Amino acid sequence: MHAAAAEPAFEPLIRLEMEMETFLSDWQHCDYLSSFLARMISHNRTDPVRHANFFSSALNELLEVSFRGGSSGGRIGCTVYRQGELERVKLSFPCPPGQHDFYREAVSKTRKGDAYARYLDAVSTALAPTREIVLLDLAINFEAEISLEEEASSSITLVVDLPLGGIVS
Amino acid sequence: MNIATTLSTPHQAVYDPNSQEFSVAGVIRPRSVDEIAPSLSALRQAIEVARGVLYINVKRLVQMNNTAFHAFSRVILDACRSRSDIRFVVVTSSVVGWTERMFRHLSRIEPQVTVEVYDSKFYPGQSFVEDTSFIPILRTQTKMTWRHERAILPRHGMRPGIHMADICCGIGDFAVLVRKEFQPARIVALDHSRASLAYARNVAADFGIVDIEYSYGDASEMLLEDDQFDLVTCRHSLQIFNQPHVLLKELYRICKPGGRVYITNEKNSHCLGEPRSQSIQWTYNEVAKLFSHFEMDVELGPKSRRFLADAGFEDIRVESFMVTNLDGDPQDFADIITAWENVYAGEMAVKRGDPPEFIERFRQGFRDHIFAALHPKGYAGWPIWAASGRKPL
Repeated sequence: MHAAAAEPAFEPLIRLEMEMETFLSDWQHCDYLSSFLARMISHNRTDPVRHANFFSSALNELLEVSFRGGSSGGRIGCTVYRQGELERVKLSFPCPPGQHDFYREAVSKTRKGDAYARYLDAVSTALAPTREIVLLDLAINFEAEISLEEEASSSITLVVDLPLGGIVS
Repeated sequence: MNIATTLSTPHQAVYDPNSQEFSVAGVIRPRSVDEIAPSLSALRQAIEVARGVLYINVKRLVQMNNTAFHAFSRVILDACRSRSDIRFVVVTSSVVGWTERMFRHLSRIEPQVTVEVYDSKFYPGQSFVEDTSFIPILRTQTKMTWRHERAILPRHGMRPGIHMADICCGIGDFAVLVRKEFQPARIVALDHSRASLAYARNVAADFGIVDIEYSYGDASEMLLEDDQFDLVTCRHSLQIFNQPHVLLKELYRICKPGGRVYITNEKNSHCLGEPRSQSIQWTYNEVAKLFSHFEMDVELGPKSRRFLADAGFEDIRVESFMVTNLDGDPQDFADIITAWENVYAGEMAVKRGDPPEFIERFRQGFRDHIFAALHPKGYAGWPIWAASGRKPL
């Protein structure tokens, strides 16, 4: 007999797609899109205003990662899902094949025991945050669990689970 | 010296030398550090002139990306290393949760940095008005004022389909009544009391109401965006806020151009009753003085016109109404006065250090007001001023 209960499904809330070239044409897109998506998905959270603020903060960092590391051919896609107190962001964007190793490494470092020490060291000494540090920030300050999906060599998908429902309440 | 910087990006960095406080507010999401160079320079200058403790106020920081966080942190941490004589106190808000989470790391790196969460000292009377034992009487108060306000509100911009915000919503009962009577398209209800909001959410859940957006927030520094609402209501709150013009400025900010801000306030010294009018009048004059001691102006009602005009509103409308013992059950009126006696005489006067003989006379006026309310030929009143202004287009 199979006793394990099935994991509750993530419910899709919203999906946004745009040409990467258009996205990369203006840095403000990160701010606009994160604010808009945050407001859209937060309206039925316990505290919609604060949830949107928290979510926008995290999503903006992810969009900035794709802005700094993405390449212009193809489309950027962002889907937000929900499961209970958890929001899952799937952010796909075109990036050169040579960058995949970088993301694999950066994502794996968010789960290592020394993640907090690495983060503190970066805040303490780095002149500007790298994309790796931004992912560490999400893991530490937003309690995010980050993974990677690689379905094509020309793009990458960051999967970020954010337990914001619990944090905001 | 005043160092003020306003950049093209919507954030402000200001140093106040009198309080040695460097404040950063708004949204700071630069692509590169260069974009915020003037603000970073302002912080460096503030550090140069500060002695002892420099406060870094991020209470009104709505968003800050990692680029900006690292840049500001860099300046603070470098100063810790070069200036052993200076301490930094970063003041975050309990409303914007991520700021405390991010800035607390600085204190792990440098012991010269401490992080404080600004919360309970929101305004001086907060502890009195957030007392959960007060909740039943707040419900009764709303029930009694609603009889008047349901007729008044349409003259101040209330109509079906609008987007509205009820700021300082307390236990949220006004929002529920408005939703039922006027069917606005959106209601945001904000308060700074977690206990009141929890109560409001429970009541809403019990009635199957899911479309009122209850939010925890500081009314003087809201996360709500500019120009959002057709009508912003703020009832009985300017009078218990030590800086009503600051609150009004925020109400103005979130109101749409052409929309209205509606406020209600009292003039407590005008509470009245017959018989025993003199005792009643003496006590309510003392109520006004007592609140004044705690930096609250419960005489604000008739000043509403001036406050609205000074805040930049136009088409200002002011009216008053009297809640009386003849509005429904006189016992409801009496229950309100009993609650006032318990808080004003039983807690606030005691906290002010008033002698027992004063408190006894103070209590007698409330008891006489109750006597008037319940007397078969008596009359007891509680006057309230309702006012609104339109935000210019």
